[in-house]
Amino acid sequence: MIGKLLQVEFMKLKRKGIWFLVFLGPFGVVSLQMVNYGVRKEWFLHQGTYNWDYYVLNVSAITPFALILGIVILTSFMASIENETNTWKQMLALPITRWSVYLSKYTTLLFLLIIASSLLAIFSLLFGIYLDFQNDIPYVDIIRYSFYPLFAALPVLGLQLWISTVIQNQGLPITVGVIGVILAYMAYFIPDWLIWKWPSLDNQWNEPLLNVYWGLAVGIGIYFVGMIDFIRRDVK
Amino acid sequence: MEYIVETNRLTKRFGKELAVNGLDIKIPKGEIYGFLGPNGAGKTTTIRMLLGLMHPTSGTVKVFGKDLAKERIEILKQIGSLVENPSYYPHLTAYENLETIRKIYGAPMERINDVLTIVGLSDVAKKKVKGFSLGMKQRLGIAASLLNNPQLLILDEPTNGLDPSGIIEIRNLLKQLAAEYGITILISSHLLSEIDQIATSVGVISKGNLIFQDSIESMRLYSMRKILLKVNNSERAWHLLISRGVKADYEKEIISLSNMSDDDIAEVVRLLVENGYSIYRVEEEKRSLEDTFLQMTSEASGI
Ligand SMILES: Nc1ncnc2c1ncn2[C@@H]1O[C@H](COP(=O)(O)OP(=O)(O)OP(=O)(O)O)[C@@H](O)[C@H]1O
Ligand SMILES: [Mg+2]
Repeated sequence: MIGKLLQVEFMKLKRKGIWFLVFLGPFGVVSLQMVNYGVRKEWFLHQGTYNWDYYVLNVSAITPFALILGIVILTSFMASIENETNTWKQMLALPITRWSVYLSKYTTLLFLLIIASSLLAIFSLLFGIYLDFQNDIPYVDIIRYSFYPLFAALPVLGLQLWISTVIQNQGLPITVGVIGVILAYMAYFIPDWLIWKWPSLDNQWNEPLLNVYWGLAVGIGIYFVGMIDFIRRDVK
Repeated sequence: MEYIVETNRLTKRFGKELAVNGLDIKIPKGEIYGFLGPNGAGKTTTIRMLLGLMHPTSGTVKVFGKDLAKERIEILKQIGSLVENPSYYPHLTAYENLETIRKIYGAPMERINDVLTIVGLSDVAKKKVKGFSLGMKQRLGIAASLLNNPQLLILDEPTNGLDPSGIIEIRNLLKQLAAEYGITILISSHLLSEIDQIATSVGVISKGNLIFQDSIESMRLYSMRKILLKVNNSERAWHLLISRGVKADYEKEIISLSNMSDDDIAEVVRLLVENGYSIYRVEEEKRSLEDTFLQMTSEASGI
């Protein structure tokens, strides 16, 4: 049943320009580095930081912000598809469980974000190769900095999906989303316990993996809270 | 008797407001049940509960003899529905819209073309629904409700937005579905004229209460119970009737009798004749069903 629902979810994304968005996010992140290295190449050389490691750090400084922005846009996109003419009432009168509907939405979003993260890894690698650094390519770091933020951002994904599906008026989810994007932008200045900080992989113990674990644990928690709320609510 | 839909004290409360109050709806197999009520009466709320979209505050719903709270999925496999305004994905074509639903039912692919033909949308199957007129969207909604060859069709104001010929088409379609396949149909409306043409039984809801539920014939009988008498010397004749304990009204030289059986009326006529009155006319006032419906709902709101 989940398989069929996923096929249906992807059918609904047709002609919505969603694949372009999935491409645009990682492309945007890497193009900022194109500008950065275009303008400041001499300076990096002068500082002795013209290398892979420093480049990967530069890319990953923008990733959390772009990721949270992407999550907010994609979730409200997904919700707007059903909210526009209230297709919820049509879909939920079909012989399917509500939890499978919610799970298929979540899975679709996660799939799109995984594609975006993979593109980020590929684009980072390609531009890095173009920059022709002298040291070895740090494949593991590139993959780590492309996917860790996604796991650390699962609580934000769960939260945005929850509020945008149960609240018909998209004002609140967008507001929460915008605040989240700003918080993600200021990640280094906000406390460790705020979920919007986690994708930055920064914490007082300097252990990025901690953010990944918290993200997975709290992300699954918020997912279930949202799903149970979705199941119990009346459909208008 | 086998009921396809049977609710027991079905109730829905929104905050302090009782939107649906203790409904006992009974729909026998094969009936076209007209669910009538003015705006805000609670029709859509009831229908949402029948489909498991809303949870009742109290009371139960049984469909096909099964408890909706326990066997929702099994029940929904056999139901086609259309709730309120049509829902659709504007950026998808009519065909693609139906495909999103067909996939979930697991119905055969050909079924999409079948239902598009049934509602007369084959020509625009490949067009985006965004550009459809309201009537076309409504037809699409009806097409969607037929995808799974349902045993029970629940349609909330399905002729909304259709032109007169569209209304007649849909009406004939529903009649045909009921006659040929024995499908049970619940169709809601705030217009009696619409239900009158198609329904075999009627439920009238007003302010959340079911104030009438019976066959359409009973409703017709209910609406024809006023007898008008024209006699000579009518005022004296009226006084005579009153003095004999007959409940009669008098207005503009006409004596009117309501709520009387045929025998009662024969008795009144005999009485007048025996007392030497000449009876010019005995007429039945054809109160329209519409008047009956309005009277029912206004009586109910008077309480
Ligand atoms: N989700 C809701 N929250 C609060 N009140 C509601 C909700 N849905 C319906 N109501 C109230 O319940 C009452 C019945 O509404 P309902 O939509 O069932 O009426 P209806 O008979 O379908 O009317 P119409 O002919 O206008 O479609 C109304 O007073 C409405 O305001
Ligand atoms: Mg309604």
